[in-house]
Amino acid sequence: MRTLLVLLAGGGLLAGSLQTALANGWNMPVGVTELSGEIYSLHMIIFWICVAIGVVVFGVMFYSLFRFRRSKGAKAANFHENTLVEVIWTAIPLLILVGMAVPATATLKKMYDASDADLDVMIIGQQWRWRYDYLGEGVAMTSNLATPRTQIRGDEPIDASANYLLEVDEPLVLPVGQKVRFLFTSDDVIHSWWVPELAIKQDTVPGFINENWVRIDEPGIYRGQCAELCGVDHAFMPIVVRAVEEEEFEAWLASRREAAEEEAMGIDREWQMSELMERGEQVYGSVCVSCHQQEGTGNPPAFPALAGNEQLLSDADWHTSTVINGVSGAAMPAFRNTLNPVEIAAVVTYTRNAWGNDTGDSVQPSEVAERLSD
Amino acid sequence: MWGVIKSVLAAFFGVQKEGQRRQDFEQGRPVPFLVAGVLMALVLVGLVALVAVLASR
Repeated sequence: MRTLLVLLAGGGLLAGSLQTALANGWNMPVGVTELSGEIYSLHMIIFWICVAIGVVVFGVMFYSLFRFRRSKGAKAANFHENTLVEVIWTAIPLLILVGMAVPATATLKKMYDASDADLDVMIIGQQWRWRYDYLGEGVAMTSNLATPRTQIRGDEPIDASANYLLEVDEPLVLPVGQKVRFLFTSDDVIHSWWVPELAIKQDTVPGFINENWVRIDEPGIYRGQCAELCGVDHAFMPIVVRAVEEEEFEAWLASRREAAEEEAMGIDREWQMSELMERGEQVYGSVCVSCHQQEGTGNPPAFPALAGNEQLLSDADWHTSTVINGVSGAAMPAFRNTLNPVEIAAVVTYTRNAWGNDTGDSVQPSEVAERLSD
Repeated sequence: MWGVIKSVLAAFFGVQKEGQRRQDFEQGRPVPFLVAGVLMALVLVGLVALVAVLASR
């Protein structure tokens, strides 16, 4: 009997230390949506059920091992079957499982109900960035890692005030209080869009569209990462969601729409060399640099050098079409949907004139637009 | 008939008396057990669906 008490006390101690660990950031977050709260509660209920089962089962086991040890003259019982005991040890797990399944099913059905959304956002995974398309709003963007490569390589110290490897140039902006439906797909391999605070971890699969939805309760910045190993820069495609009040969101969306329209108008005009170079350096720094490197040296053989690349220098047509269409069977993706004509023209011009590539020629956005429409 | 149902129920639950099992294997024919098994699987699916519907109300 005393042993049993000791074991129970031990179990209590275990539960207590678990509680402490959970309260100190070792647990999943409660999150900022109604469903993330429900998922958290389910997780906790099931967790404590598992702890109770563990304590009871191992308690009985250790108690029996100790109390009925051979040195005290215990004799093993020798019987083959006992239907009553078997019925009991089958019925108890059955009841526990059904008891857990009932609330879990209720939550699961809510999670799958993406109907009647106020806003649709397409989330497209790409090696190694995310693209967000506000469907029907005329606003789309590419979200790249904002941590400088020099910090990643260790050439300069990590900026402690920033969110190392968890910061992007373009966060996904969402309104609070509205039902937002996400449509997930991928351009190349399987990625997974994972934001713990929103209780979403959804695979993006090329050729398939997955659905999920959120209604965020609180404005704030919520960070996540790609959760499906997708290649060499898997760790460098973080997710940042910025949830804002509805009016702020509408204003943001309108300004983005305006900027996109302005950019579209800029396609037809003649661009100066210096403008293209400036814009191209920006685009290169967010999109190309992870493979082709800061100084255009690449990382052969998978990622060829651009600086001093003979084919690139001699053939501007080939250069432009490679950026637009990618290289089939190689790591180079097609940028026809990721970058707009201005960005493609700028980055081609930049790579033809940077790091000693002094071709002096430029590619105009209008030429790229023409190719894209072919 | 009732004996077959009881034995199939016991199989679904996963616990059967040794004596009953022996008797089924020595005296029963397989077809009634197969039919009862398929029907009961359908009933089980219906029950799970019912629980799912009730749970989400």
